[in-house]
Amino acid sequence: MTGLYIRWGIFVLLAIILSMLVVRHYEAQLATVSPSDLILSPSTGSFRVQGMVKSGTLKGDVEQGAVQFELVDDAAAIRVQYHGPPPENLRELKTVVMIGTWDATARVFRAHEIALVSNYGFVASAYLLTFIPIGVFLFSMSRKVVVLMQAIKDSKLYEPEG
Amino acid sequence: MIHRIIKQIQRYKGWVGAGAAVCLLTGTYLGLIASPPDYYQGEVVRIMYVHVPLAHTALLAYTVVFAGSIWYLWKRDRLIDNMCHAAAGLGFLFTGLALITGSIWAKPTWNTWWTWDPRLVSFAILFLILAGYLMLRTFLTEDPDRESRYAAVLAIVGFIDLPIIHFSVEWWRTLHQPLSISTRGVSISGELLLPLTIMSIGFHLLFAYMLMVRTQLLYLDELLQAKKGRLLTQMHLSRSQTSP
Repeated sequence: MTGLYIRWGIFVLLAIILSMLVVRHYEAQLATVSPSDLILSPSTGSFRVQGMVKSGTLKGDVEQGAVQFELVDDAAAIRVQYHGPPPENLRELKTVVMIGTWDATARVFRAHEIALVSNYGFVASAYLLTFIPIGVFLFSMSRKVVVLMQAIKDSKLYEPEG
Repeated sequence: MIHRIIKQIQRYKGWVGAGAAVCLLTGTYLGLIASPPDYYQGEVVRIMYVHVPLAHTALLAYTVVFAGSIWYLWKRDRLIDNMCHAAAGLGFLFTGLALITGSIWAKPTWNTWWTWDPRLVSFAILFLILAGYLMLRTFLTEDPDRESRYAAVLAIVGFIDLPIIHFSVEWWRTLHQPLSISTRGVSISGELLLPLTIMSIGFHLLFAYMLMVRTQLLYLDELLQAKKGRLLTQMHLSRSQTSP
C-alpha cells in the first residue's frame, strides 16, 4: 500500500505544480482593473482595463483600428477611444481587455492594445471535470486491487499455482 | 494465445501508466499555456484538447467491448469477459465525460448547453447502451454465464451506434463541426494539432492502463468470491463428516 501512496503522491505533486503554472500564466494575463475601480480610484500610467463593450455604442472603423465605445461592468461605464492595430472580432457585447491610459479630465480611457477575453471558467471547469473524476476513479481502483490482494493473502485463501 | 498476449501486455502496465502520465501532463501544459488561442473561438478552443480525446477513447472502449464480446461468445473465455466488463465501465466514464465537456464547450460557442443534434444524440445513445450493459451485469448475477452471454449480445447489437456517431456529421445537417482529420486531409493548424495528438495518445494510454487495472480488479474479486465459496463448501463438507 505504501508504494501506491508514493506513486500517487508524486503524480498529485506534479499535477499541483502544473496547476500553479497555469494559474500564474492566466493571472499574468488577467491582472486588470474594472471600469468601477477606475472611476473610484483613477490610476496613472499604462495599465489594463477589462469589461464588456456596451450594446449600441461601438462606433468608428474597426478594420482601420480607430473605434470608440463604452466599456461597462456591473456598476459603471467609461468611454474608450482606441487607436492601434485592427482588433480581431471586436463586436458589441464582447468582453475585452485593453492596455492604455486614463485621461481623468476628459474621463476617457485611451487604449492602444485590445484583445477579446474568453471566459476561462469554461476551460477550467472542463479540465477539472475531466481529470478529477478520472483521478478519483483510478485511485479507488488501484487501492481496491491492493486491498483485494491483501484480503486474499490474509484470509489464507491464496494457493500458489502448480 | 490471447492469454499469452494479455500476460505480455500486463508486464508493461507500469510503463503504460507512466507514459499516460507524461503525455497528459505535457499535453495539458501545451494545451493550456503553450498553444495559441483559436482565431474565431478564442481561449475556449482549449476545451478541444480534453473533449476530442475523451470522445475518441470512449469509442475505443466500446470497440474493445464489441471485439471482446465476439471473442467471448466464440471461446467462452472468462478473462475476456472480465475485460469486456472492465472496458464497459471505463467506456461509461469516458462517454459521460465527453458529453459533459462537450456541453461546456457548446455553451460559449453555440450558446446552448444541449441541442438535439445528430452527433450529440447518437453519442448520448452510446452512453445509454453502456448504462444498460452495466445494469444488465449488475442485476443478472445469479447465473454468471447467462449474464456474460446476454451482455455480449447487447454489446454486439449496440455496436451499430458507432458508425452512426462517426458519420453523423457527414450524413445529416449538424451544428457539430465536421471531421478535422479525414481522407480529404487535415483541416486543423499544426499548432493546435500537436497538443491534440499528445493528449489523444495520453488518453489512449490511460485507457489501456485503467483497463489493465480494472480487469485485474474484477479477476481478483471473482477469485476471492470463488475461493470463499470453495472454503465454505469445504467447511460444510468437513462439518458434515465430523457430525454424528
